[in-house]
Amino acid sequence: MKSWDIFCSAIDNFGDVGVSWRLARQLAHEFALDVRLFVDDPKVLELLCPEVSPSLPIQWVSGVQVIRWGAALEVAPAAVVIETFGCRLPDTLISAMAARDPASLWINLEYLSAESWVEDCHCLPSPQVTGPQKYFYFPGFTERTGGLLREKDLLLKRQQFTQADKRHFLRKLGVDPSPGSVLVSVFTYENESIASWLEILCRDESRFHLLVPTGRISKNIQRWLGVEALAHGEIHSCGQLTIQAIPFVRQEDYDLLLWSCDLNLVRGEDSFVRAQWACKPFLWHIYPQEEDVHLEKLAAFLRYYLDGMGVEAAAATQRFWGDWNRQKPLQESWAVWQKHWPDLERNAERWCSQLARQPGLAESLARLAQSWYKRRAEITPPF
Amino acid sequence: MKTAQDVKVNNVVLIDGSPWLVQKAEYTKSGRNSAIMKMKLRNLLTGSTTETVYKFDDKMEQVNLDQVDVTYSYKADDMYVFMDGEYNQYELSAEDVESVIPYIVDGMTDECKAVFFQGKVISVDLPTTIVRQIDYAEGSARGDTSGKVMKVAKLSNGTELKVADFCEVGDWIEIDTRTGEYKSRAKAPA
Repeated sequence: MKSWDIFCSAIDNFGDVGVSWRLARQLAHEFALDVRLFVDDPKVLELLCPEVSPSLPIQWVSGVQVIRWGAALEVAPAAVVIETFGCRLPDTLISAMAARDPASLWINLEYLSAESWVEDCHCLPSPQVTGPQKYFYFPGFTERTGGLLREKDLLLKRQQFTQADKRHFLRKLGVDPSPGSVLVSVFTYENESIASWLEILCRDESRFHLLVPTGRISKNIQRWLGVEALAHGEIHSCGQLTIQAIPFVRQEDYDLLLWSCDLNLVRGEDSFVRAQWACKPFLWHIYPQEEDVHLEKLAAFLRYYLDGMGVEAAAATQRFWGDWNRQKPLQESWAVWQKHWPDLERNAERWCSQLARQPGLAESLARLAQSWYKRRAEITPPF
Repeated sequence: MKTAQDVKVNNVVLIDGSPWLVQKAEYTKSGRNSAIMKMKLRNLLTGSTTETVYKFDDKMEQVNLDQVDVTYSYKADDMYVFMDGEYNQYELSAEDVESVIPYIVDGMTDECKAVFFQGKVISVDLPTTIVRQIDYAEGSARGDTSGKVMKVAKLSNGTELKVADFCEVGDWIEIDTRTGEYKSRAKAPA
C-alpha cells in the first residue's frame, strides 16, 4: 500500500486544493509513500506552491507527483485512492480500481465539521454499484473522527519561531509594524460588516496593523478606504488603524504569518485549521451555506472550542463570531470580546494542546490503510 | 437507478447481488452545499445489519421484490408457517421473521406480505398498524387521561411495550410495527 492517489477538484477558493496538497506532501514526506496528486486546476496549486507549473501535465514537486487531471485519464490506480470532498472519479478509473489485485482502497475524504453526526459516520463503508470497497473519512476534533492535518514537526517549529524569525519574516513581506501594535491577519470571505469593525479600530486605544493578503475580503476593505484597488505593499492609515495589503503567500509561509500575528481572521477549512495550530486567538468566517446550515456548524465548533473558557469570555466569543458570520455591526461585540484578551490567549493554547493529543489526519489515514490491507484477508466485509 | 437522497425507509436496494432493506435513512448537509445520506441496512438473505454512508447523489440500485398476501398459520419446530389465499404454505426461520416475532400471537389475522427474492420467500412484513390485546399492565396514576404519561404493558406473547397510562389489562391497542410503539387505544377486532 505504498502507492497513493489523491484526486482534487478545485470548486472555488483554495480549500480543496490546499487540503489535498498539504495531505499529499505530508504522506510523501513523513510516511515515505509514493503520492500522486491529480488536480483539475493547477493554477490554484501554483498560488499555494509557486514551484508548480500549471502548463505541465505531469511534474514532481516537493516529493509529490502532480498530475493535471483532464478529461482523459489513463492511469493504473494506486493501492489507496482518495477522492477529496466528494469529487467524482472517472468510471474507467473506478473499474480499474476494482480490477486491480488487490483492489484499491477507496476513501472519500469529507469536509471538516464539529457536528456530532460526524463521529457516527466516520469510517463507515459506502458500497457502490460499481467499484471496490469505499469508505467515508471525516476530519474532526475528537478521537472518534479522523483528526486534523498536522505535520509532525509543526508545533515544534512554531515553538522555535523566535521574535527575530518574526521580524525577518515580516520584513520579507515588507511589514514593519510600529512597536506595540496589534498585528492582525485578515483572510476571510466577503463581509459587509468589516466596515463597522474598521471604524471602531480607528478609534481604539490600541494601535492595530491589519495585514490583508489578496483575497475575497479585499473588495470590502477597498470600498471602506474609498480606493479602486489595493496594490501589494500599499499602506493606509486612519487613526489607530493601519491597513497593509500583502501578497498571497505560499502554504508554508501562511503558517509563519499566523504565528507572527496576535489575532488571525481565517475562513473555510485549511486556514481555519492552521489558525488553531498557531495557538493564537482567531475568528472563523465559516463557508456560508444555504438555509444558514453553516451557523449550526459554527455553533458545533464553538461548543468544543469554548468548553473550558470562562463563561463571560465564551459568551463574548460566541457573540463576536456570530455577529461576524451573520454580517451584523461589530462595534459592541468587538468591544466586549477584546476585554477578554487574556482568556482568549489562554484558551487558544489550551485548545491547541488538547487537539495535539490526538493523532493527525495523515497519520490516521496511513494507519487505516495499513490495517485495512493487513486485515482484509482475515475479515469478511459486510458487502 | 435512484440517487441515495431518493432512497426511503423500507426500500430495498441491491448491493453485490444481495437485497438490503433500508431501515433508516438520514439526510445531513455536510460541507459547502453537499449532503450525505446515512443508512441502516438489513440484509434480507442473512438478516445481518450494517450502517453505511453515501453522497446524496450516489447511484443506488433499487429492487422491487415480489410480494404475496399471507396470514400466519402456526409454528412448527423452529419454523414459522404462513399461508396465502390458495393454501400455499411458506416456512420461514426465526431469523427471517425476526421483526415480526414480537407481534405473533395465536389466532392473529393480520394480512401480512411474504417477500420473495429470486423466487424464494425471504421475509414477511406486517401491516404498518396492528391491533393487539394487553395481557398485563402496570397500575395507573390517578386521573391522567392525556396519553402523555406512559407505563409498561405486555402482550399475551410476552412482548413488552410502553402504553398510555390509562390503558388497562384487556384493552386493545394499536401498535406501529415500524417503531414498535403504542399508537392509541383501539376497538376489539370484529
